[in-house]
Amino acid sequence: MKRLDIGIKIPKQVEFYVFIIIIVLSVIIQAKSGLFFTNNNIMDLLRSMIVPSIYAICALLSFVSTGGPDVSFPLIAALSSHLATTITINIGYDGSIICVFLIAVFFGLLMGALNGWIIVKYKFPTLIVTLGTSSIFSGLLLGAFGAERIALPGVMMRFARASLLTVRNAETGLSSSLPFTFLILVFLYIVIYLVLNFTMVGRGVYAVGGDEISAQRAGFAVNKIIFGVLAVNGAVAAIAGVCYTVMSRRYLPTEFAGTEMTVIAAVILGGVRLTGGVGTLRGCILGTLLLTIVSNSLILIGVSVYWQKVFVGGIIIIGTAISAIQSRRAAKLSQEREADNYAVRKEIT
Amino acid sequence: MQLEKKLLKKIEGNTQRLFVTLIFLLLIASVTKPDNFLKLGNFQSILKQMTEYGLMSLGVGICMISGGIDLSTVYIANLSGITAGLMMQKLIPAATDSGQFEYILLAILVSLLLGAVCGLFNGFLISYLHIPAMLATLGSYLLFMGIGIVVSGGSTVSGVPKIYTKLGNGLVFNLIPIPFAIFLIVVIVLTFIMSKTKFGIRVHLLGTNEKAAKFAGIRNKLIILKTYMISGIISAIAGLISLARLNSAKANFGSSYTMQTILIVVLGGVNPDGGFGNIPGIAVAVIILQMLSSYLNMFPNISNYYRDLIWGIALIAVLIINFTINKQKNKR
Repeated sequence: MKRLDIGIKIPKQVEFYVFIIIIVLSVIIQAKSGLFFTNNNIMDLLRSMIVPSIYAICALLSFVSTGGPDVSFPLIAALSSHLATTITINIGYDGSIICVFLIAVFFGLLMGALNGWIIVKYKFPTLIVTLGTSSIFSGLLLGAFGAERIALPGVMMRFARASLLTVRNAETGLSSSLPFTFLILVFLYIVIYLVLNFTMVGRGVYAVGGDEISAQRAGFAVNKIIFGVLAVNGAVAAIAGVCYTVMSRRYLPTEFAGTEMTVIAAVILGGVRLTGGVGTLRGCILGTLLLTIVSNSLILIGVSVYWQKVFVGGIIIIGTAISAIQSRRAAKLSQEREADNYAVRKEIT
Repeated sequence: MQLEKKLLKKIEGNTQRLFVTLIFLLLIASVTKPDNFLKLGNFQSILKQMTEYGLMSLGVGICMISGGIDLSTVYIANLSGITAGLMMQKLIPAATDSGQFEYILLAILVSLLLGAVCGLFNGFLISYLHIPAMLATLGSYLLFMGIGIVVSGGSTVSGVPKIYTKLGNGLVFNLIPIPFAIFLIVVIVLTFIMSKTKFGIRVHLLGTNEKAAKFAGIRNKLIILKTYMISGIISAIAGLISLARLNSAKANFGSSYTMQTILIVVLGGVNPDGGFGNIPGIAVAVIILQMLSSYLNMFPNISNYYRDLIWGIALIAVLIINFTINKQKNKR
């Protein structure tokens, strides 16, 4: 029983540390500049968190279930939002934004399913497969479809202009607004949270990542779960892609690639274990928040933009080192305990 | 012994397939585009262009054989290039003509040393702090890129002396581009290290089974440190060549190379889980890919972006082919 406690405690601790770092960092920034806890800054932070947080779901799901990162989500996002945008323009659709999202989700699901099919059928590492497919998607996007920057059609532009909440700083007169895409983020997190924690499939995702053979013995359809996770990843990535397109108010094909590394880093800072089976949505949000603060708000305390990457890299190294050392310590502890138990049992017999 | 022979056969099987692919590709290209393709200049430019990411692939390759991965090669290369470039800029104007050579040599040595230190840092994170290789190098690549940005002030470093740029654009015996000659030397040295020395065998064992390696009395930490240091030095060489060839270095140059190097290494027959793979395979894979992309460039109506598509398909196809061949072998 006690061993089980430790297994659950460690990710919580990682999240806790990240939370403390976030608090300390924000207090320092607030104390030095007085600009952190202003409504503008908070709003901008939330705004720039939207897309990375949605991507973080993809990274979390692939790590938890397959023990490897899905790196194809930026290109799935790019390709599916490109298709959704061009189809909307070509058929002259001018109805609900939901349909645009649905078109993107459809293509995202297809691409995710391709990933899932290869991974399930051949048992290749997720990283390598998604690396290959993202190269394929990139070739399709820029080569076959010849994607270029596109002005958004009316239906997407209207959605882009609508804002959930607008705040105005009385002193500077600058206003920042929170776009509607924030609601999509909240909605996605609620749905994924409920599925992961309160359904058999959700528990299966953790079980498969923890130990595939045990999960199979316990009656989970391992292959179906892994396939499903990667397909859902595609759909989630597609939603992120449309959100990004809408928020930048034009379609920019080359802006997507390259974000995967920071997202993966954020998720790992948030306590996702690399070997699979452990990780929470709360950790994802915290990790993403930390990296967003570092890259957005360090300027406020006079840290030059040049140093930003050094800080992000340093935080990732320190954060991962802490969690690596902790999980080793936990493994050692449980090993020792096992040895103790073994010795006790031996004495008894 | 028998197992070893089997392994050798398996490795060579993949390299053989790669060679057949290379010859096949050469034939197709020569038949369809004889005027453009069968030219000395074309081959020279193919060989020159592949050197930088070819070298980095070798670094990634040995790390992957050891059971890890190195995502930071591109940024170690950039950092070394920037350092060498800045040193040459600062030191050379003060030097007389006769002093130039020493200063260039000094700059090269310093940046190679820097590459070694960066590699050692990666190795330290992985072996002593037990951070998984992917994460450690993910963090350190941002760190190296950041340091590169800070050192260079975020701008491009250029204006290296003319003698030095000859290193990137000159020819050996008026035939082979110098960068490719360097690549060849590195390939030969690395092949020797990986297949003939104790160290190389230990790297393979470490990649196959870490615990077994430990119980066999191998000091895993030291091996990991050395492996990543070699990768760092090779990356620094790539950075120096890139500086010479383009007369410029930038902190975020060649960001897309990271993924390409992994792709090449897997195409070259290295097992992504570690343990298997050989250096010549990687070298041939690099040549195939560069040749393919040069060949595609000869069709003006085919966008260069199709290269990504073909690379991706090639990667997955090679994985599947190797998978089915191994499966059939096991059945027998």
